[in-house]
Amino acid sequence: MAVDLARKILFHDKLRFVITVSGVAFAVTLVLVQLGLFVGLLDSATITIRKLDADIWITSKNTPNVDFANDFPESMVNRVRSVPGVGRADNLLVTFMQITLPSGAREGLMVYAMDDFARWKFPWNILSGDVADLRRGKYFLLDESAAGRFGKFGIGDYREILGQRLKIIGLTREARSFTTTPIAFMDYQLAQSLAYQMFSGRTAYIVAKLEPGADMQAALAEIRRRLPFNDVYTRDEWAAASRNYWVDSTGIGLNMYMTVFLGCLVGVVVVAQTLYTMTMEHIREFGTVKAIGGTNLDIYMILAKQAVISAVCGFSLGAAQSYAMKPLMEKVDLKLIMPPEAMAWCFAGTLVLCLASAMISFHKVAKIDPALVFRT
Amino acid sequence: MAVLEAHAITKTFQEGRQAVPVLHGIDLSISAGEVVTLEGPSGSGKTTLLSILGCILTPTSGRVMIEDVAVGDNARAMAGVRKKSIGFVFQQFNLFPSLTARENVEYSLNIKGLKGNDARLEAERVLDDVGLGDRKNFLPRDLSGGQKQRVAVARALAGRSPLILADEPTANLDSHTGAQVLEIFRNLAKKENRALLIVTHDTKVREISDRVLRIRDGVLMD
Repeated sequence: MAVDLARKILFHDKLRFVITVSGVAFAVTLVLVQLGLFVGLLDSATITIRKLDADIWITSKNTPNVDFANDFPESMVNRVRSVPGVGRADNLLVTFMQITLPSGAREGLMVYAMDDFARWKFPWNILSGDVADLRRGKYFLLDESAAGRFGKFGIGDYREILGQRLKIIGLTREARSFTTTPIAFMDYQLAQSLAYQMFSGRTAYIVAKLEPGADMQAALAEIRRRLPFNDVYTRDEWAAASRNYWVDSTGIGLNMYMTVFLGCLVGVVVVAQTLYTMTMEHIREFGTVKAIGGTNLDIYMILAKQAVISAVCGFSLGAAQSYAMKPLMEKVDLKLIMPPEAMAWCFAGTLVLCLASAMISFHKVAKIDPALVFRT
Repeated sequence: MAVLEAHAITKTFQEGRQAVPVLHGIDLSISAGEVVTLEGPSGSGKTTLLSILGCILTPTSGRVMIEDVAVGDNARAMAGVRKKSIGFVFQQFNLFPSLTARENVEYSLNIKGLKGNDARLEAERVLDDVGLGDRKNFLPRDLSGGQKQRVAVARALAGRSPLILADEPTANLDSHTGAQVLEIFRNLAKKENRALLIVTHDTKVREISDRVLRIRDGVLMD
């Protein structure tokens, strides 16, 4: 083992080290939280598509995303049911409705309605209640996240939706739209009767499940042939289309990229400035390294190692801070999702940027005159 | 056998548009086991000559040979010679503040290519030789001026470089400590057959020298 001058210098001035690591950690937290919120929002944007047990989604032409459905004749479902390879197909109604709160205020509610939720394993996270009961009357299931917007509620409470009094018979979890609007689940015909002007005899989507071993491409082609005025997607395609709508059309993507860029910039500036200052403060020591036979490469390695240590420590602290923020975000109805791939990319980015920051000092090091060791 | 030979060394610095000659045709030779003092007033060219002999600065003309090999004039070649053949002792000690006494010596050995346990044992050996065996784990801030300079001496002697160059090694020490450091320095250089060149203002250094050189206005007087 050789003497680790890089680590010794870095840890010798503990305050400076703490400042460097804090700077990196701040930048990492900024990037991870922004990235996590972005992924969380996109997760909400597609969670119903991913959780509903359907292989194929049929929408009206040019429907931009799952929340902004247009209507088309519900009888189209029969054409889909008869396509070879399709095991089952049902209508799915998705629409905004207004809910009147006990205070008299009105809020938005996203309603998902089907004839038989159970066979689509939807909703996916039911805390209480039974979807089979939805057919029995003017009932609905409401996501627990609605408490933040609508105030406290419980099973057995009534709420007015589009002027009709409906009873809450169950609670769900995780069912929130991209805009954080809570989702309610009700019987298909009840939803049609509530929004009869738009959906009388009409649906928003047809969802289909293929038989085991059925040819997906053949089924898609046949459905497209039979429903030329609709768009037909696989589940993944429809999720991607819904996700891309929000990223491309709303500026949220640009906002995310800008924040990530600013996070990186903050990190680079902090690390570059700290390492540069550290280099300047230790210039005599680096001169000594050269005087006793060390090369520029020896000193570059010292700076690079310091950058790597700062990156690893800063990233670890930043990641821990970001995880610590998860429960706080959940309290304000925001999902913070940090997938392992995003963490890996962020770590790699932190390393690269810290090393790039160290390179600013390389120029100074290359010019160090070892003769300075003779100066008093 | 001459460890260090310098032939017709000149050095001229360019200051703006003006050429300032500092050294004028220096010739000198130092043999293994010889302790030589180089004296001269400020501005006489002592440090410039030491920098050239130490392969830190290139001469404008002339040739430096260490162990009968001419020193090249590119930075890489000069760094290679410093690494292999030269140990330095500086007026300001130039120890690494974040390294202990042992680590300071060991790091210098690492640079010279000796690593691991061998480097550690060699560092401890020379620190014992300079009387700092019990201070090897002290940081420089916890050492006195004399002890710091002894660490610097140990660093220069470690790795068995044949040539040791010392720049004003007693300038920052009181006379008693300075005398102690010089005595240790001389004894070890003699014992290990190193060539030792000490640049100094301190006339007491003469007492431990085999030979005294005087430089004035860039010319060796005798």
